[in-house]
Amino acid sequence: MRPSSGLLIFFMVFFLLAGVLARSLADKRNTQEENFHTLREVVLHLGLSDLALSTEARYTRHPAISDSVVVSMDHPGAIDHFPSTFFWAPVR
Amino acid sequence: MGRVLNILDYALCSLRRKLLKNVSVFAIFTLVIFLFCSFQLVSRALTEAAEQLLTTAPDITIQQMSAGRQISIASSTKMELAGIFGIKKIKERIWGYYFDESNGANYTVIGMHAPFSDSPGDRLPGLSEGRLPAPGERGKVVVSDNIRNHLQLGSRKHFSLFRPDLTQAGFETIGLFDGKLEIVTADLILMTLADARDLFAIPDKFVTDLLVYVANPNEIETIARKISLKLPGSRVITRNQILKTYKVVFNWRSGLGTICLLTALAAFVILAWDKASGLSREEMKEVGILKILGWQTGDIIFLRFCESLTVSLLAFLTGYLLAWMHIVYFDGILFRPVFLGWSVVRPVFSLAPSFSIENLLLVFCLSVVPYLCATAVPAWRAATVRADSVI
Repeated sequence: MRPSSGLLIFFMVFFLLAGVLARSLADKRNTQEENFHTLREVVLHLGLSDLALSTEARYTRHPAISDSVVVSMDHPGAIDHFPSTFFWAPVR
Repeated sequence: MGRVLNILDYALCSLRRKLLKNVSVFAIFTLVIFLFCSFQLVSRALTEAAEQLLTTAPDITIQQMSAGRQISIASSTKMELAGIFGIKKIKERIWGYYFDESNGANYTVIGMHAPFSDSPGDRLPGLSEGRLPAPGERGKVVVSDNIRNHLQLGSRKHFSLFRPDLTQAGFETIGLFDGKLEIVTADLILMTLADARDLFAIPDKFVTDLLVYVANPNEIETIARKISLKLPGSRVITRNQILKTYKVVFNWRSGLGTICLLTALAAFVILAWDKASGLSREEMKEVGILKILGWQTGDIIFLRFCESLTVSLLAFLTGYLLAWMHIVYFDGILFRPVFLGWSVVRPVFSLAPSFSIENLLLVFCLSVVPYLCATAVPAWRAATVRADSVI
């Protein structure tokens, strides 16, 4: 067997796994869409404005409607100390 | 074609001869791509979830500000807005946080006028069991399963929370949010407006915000502007602004996580450059022999290109596939703690981002291309070695 045949086998296995993964992703997205339909109803009736991802501080729990100035809000020069806010950009 | 295949075969054999070194490079490269891509996918899944779920958020939210902080707003403010044409409905709401000292958890309390739902029988689709508090009922709440566990209720239905003066307010759980809805309800305690006012000791006729629903979605911005003019010192937040917040909240360019991962990628590229540029005696000898056998400089550059491309492409495909598996089958378990932070109440939700060709190209351009560039110059230097100087 030529060494390049091994490469071909790798690509075939890759595409096979990618196909299985694509199928699983499609199923997951369908289930998610059904849940989202219910979630949108809940958001509508309760007037929710944020996702309940990080409940550690008000500006991570409700970034959309809590105080707009959040960095250094605890005292001047304080570095934002919650891990989840490392991923969050200031809103302009 | 035959020539290309032969050179590719030779390149693969060459990689196999230095198996340990190449496997190490492949493993590190795969890991960097896996981490970078996983982060991108988790971030995109959350952004997409926010964009899709918050499309039914209130058209306009009005809050009263004082000294840059939010304070309660008088319910009578509704009357001042009555003259604005186009407003369909205004709902009063109290929301706040209750810190549970026993376990360090923060609960979000939402108080609204019952009936909460416009649907017949006041039935909310998101309840797995029980019902919503009826108009006039006091001390009845709907909570999530997550909160029930944190309050250690078990089969009990009654619990109490402390008012600011440390007296206790008793509540009965009459409904439970469906576990599938935790992405928005994980920390929610839903009660009537009167109960929320009593719990937070908010004066009568005051609420935390007003939710305005507009008849024509095209007029939201205009009506928001009119409200701002009518209510000085208020903060008026439109649904578009909420959606925009979430667009930037998980923006990959701004996150420290991305910077860390790009730094790791840059460190790896420098390592690749260093390894590739430090030609060993054996490698120089190999080039010399190939040249004596009739290989041209171009052939040797192509050979080195095949080696780099094989390692980087295999690492990219493996890392990319593993990242998707991490998201689809394990719901981003490695990055979840970073996104959820130090929260005590942690929602259970699944991640399913859409596949986008832009993301694939982005990861490809930030990983494979720099690696190929980093190994190009060393490959050229190796190829231009004079045969008689190394044999």
